[in-house]
Amino acid sequence: MATYDFLFSSLGLTEWCAEGKSDAPMSMAALLNKSKGTEAEQSLWDVPFPSMDALNESCAAFPQSRELTQGLEQGFLAVKDNLSIVLDPITQPLSWALDGTLYAMITTPWWIVIPILLAVVLLVTKSWKLVGFVAGSLCLLAFIDYYVYAMQTLAIIFVCAFICVLLGVPIGIAMSRNNMMQRLTIPVLDMLQTLPPFVYLIPLIFLFSVTESKLYGIAIILYAIVPVIRMTNLGIRLVDPDVIEAANAFGMTSRQKLYKVQIPLALPNIMAGVNQTIMMSLAMVVIASLVSAPGLGVLVLQGIRNLELGVGLVAGLGIVILAVILDRVTKASLARINASQKQ
Amino acid sequence: MDRDIKISIRNLYKIFGPTPDVALEYVKQGMGKAELLEKHQHVLGLQDINVDMREGHVTVIMGLSGSGKSTLIRHLNRLIEPTGGEIAVDGENVLAFDEDQLRNLRRERMSMVFQKFALLPHKTVLENAGMALSVRGHKIEEFEAEAKKWIARVGLEGNEYQYPHQLSGGMQQRVGIARALASNSPIMLMDEAFSALDPLIRSDMQDLLLELQDELHKTIVFITHDLDESLKLADHLVILKEGYIVQQGEPQEILMHPNDPYIVNFISDINRARVLRVRSIMKKTTEAPDNVAGDIGERDNLESVIARSGGDTSLVYRVVRKGKQVGVLEVQDLFKALVPTESPESDTRSHY
Repeated sequence: MATYDFLFSSLGLTEWCAEGKSDAPMSMAALLNKSKGTEAEQSLWDVPFPSMDALNESCAAFPQSRELTQGLEQGFLAVKDNLSIVLDPITQPLSWALDGTLYAMITTPWWIVIPILLAVVLLVTKSWKLVGFVAGSLCLLAFIDYYVYAMQTLAIIFVCAFICVLLGVPIGIAMSRNNMMQRLTIPVLDMLQTLPPFVYLIPLIFLFSVTESKLYGIAIILYAIVPVIRMTNLGIRLVDPDVIEAANAFGMTSRQKLYKVQIPLALPNIMAGVNQTIMMSLAMVVIASLVSAPGLGVLVLQGIRNLELGVGLVAGLGIVILAVILDRVTKASLARINASQKQ
Repeated sequence: MDRDIKISIRNLYKIFGPTPDVALEYVKQGMGKAELLEKHQHVLGLQDINVDMREGHVTVIMGLSGSGKSTLIRHLNRLIEPTGGEIAVDGENVLAFDEDQLRNLRRERMSMVFQKFALLPHKTVLENAGMALSVRGHKIEEFEAEAKKWIARVGLEGNEYQYPHQLSGGMQQRVGIARALASNSPIMLMDEAFSALDPLIRSDMQDLLLELQDELHKTIVFITHDLDESLKLADHLVILKEGYIVQQGEPQEILMHPNDPYIVNFISDINRARVLRVRSIMKKTTEAPDNVAGDIGERDNLESVIARSGGDTSLVYRVVRKGKQVGVLEVQDLFKALVPTESPESDTRSHY
């Protein structure tokens, strides 16, 4: 006899319970109890919480908790095909962008790629010191034969961070102009930020093929887009209200206000968001190697799987070097923006 | 309506709160500010404001903080929407304007100078000065000459390519004034434009404004909490207190005949000899008096006359405008005018 028998009998549901007797699978605990053959009298101390499983013991027609997870899974599998029909074409350009960039960065010879990267660094930071640092780091990675892996990681980050900015800035602007939009978006952002990244890898694996690059692309974008949205929203909301009033008083349209006042003044904050977004895509690109993302993450994974300590450590060091490069370069360009518009 | 009245405000009310229309009815039935706040949680911002601002004049709106003066000036270009009343600019009802007309009003006919300057920090002085023109869609090459002209006019030649943060407060406000002037609008709204500046610079800026006004004859609406400043600048002075107009008129007139203890209290602290001018106390006559001690200008202040007379109360001066006599001033009368308006002063103060 189970604890909550009285509940169902008092409600007159005994018959309904008996109907469902056979079809529900037995829980592990019930199986163990059965094999032990003991059903001792329960003391008050052991009264279980009236959970789904405990109630199921008293009434076989009551669903068990694992039916919940199973139901969720069934439901997801049922809508999956229809969802794929919609999502596949929308996300296909992401695959192309990732594959194209990966192809371009790896097949182009190193003596073209490295100078181009250095030229970009010089362009955004105007600092020869930083160019020297980046050149040294890239040559070090190339010297220990990690050049291809590093370039793969960089290519993925470039594409994903670019798409994050492309989507995140307009979302942030929309949030800053509409309080309702902000109220609806913030819980989603909170969720994306707190969900362990492994958790949204699971449904993605169901939705997309593991051989397609958009799978890890989406995972990285979902994880890394949050800061750029938040900082764009915050940056625009923090623009000095006096300046906005002046813009109104001189008859600016809301488009003029956005492009001539709000975005330029929010730029330091937006750039801080972009910096965070790039750092987070770097963190995620390592985890995404679990779902076939190429790059340094693969080596880390190899280190863990095969217990190759040296490979894992060196690859980890390579990631740190990339992180430092990306952080320094974005921070230096941020500092340049800040210097030009002190209040 | 008078032809040269540029801006006319009639029965303007502003009430802040969730249901201002309901509260407006209570106010019109005579409910006061304190009672409205206590019983209906609405703040009475402006109450039955009627002002006519003449073309080419400086209208100064003076009041302490919380008197509603900044609220009032923002009604003129509808940065704040009124709860009730009418505002007419050049005889057109501003409140009936749609979005395009309103934007046009702000772009072409009114410009504004702000207390905290409100310059665009990421633009150069030149681009800031040309802001009104760039808002109208002109390229920098087109407005450069115009903007440079006004930058030079406010004394910032050579600073065109600096950024606002590289300038001092006074210089930043000069940019603010250049920006308003470059828009070439007939009306200039100045919201405590000089309040954030230190006294010496403030005085310089006031002189600059008067000098520009002599030349340009704009219709200026100037907000201030400083009585000395308002007496220096005003052609027409409006004194606000807790959202209603206590007294308005020619500043010398208000100084000589204040109609409210609030104003008496205000003007008791100022140096009357410095702000009163000869024309407001002279006897108007074209007959030449006997024993003339000398000629004085009608706009001279009394302090300068006292200095000239060396304190001799028996002297008589001839008041002249452009070389012609317009009146006579006996130094004895001058001293009578310096007697505080309502004595004993302590009586009026005890009302508060």
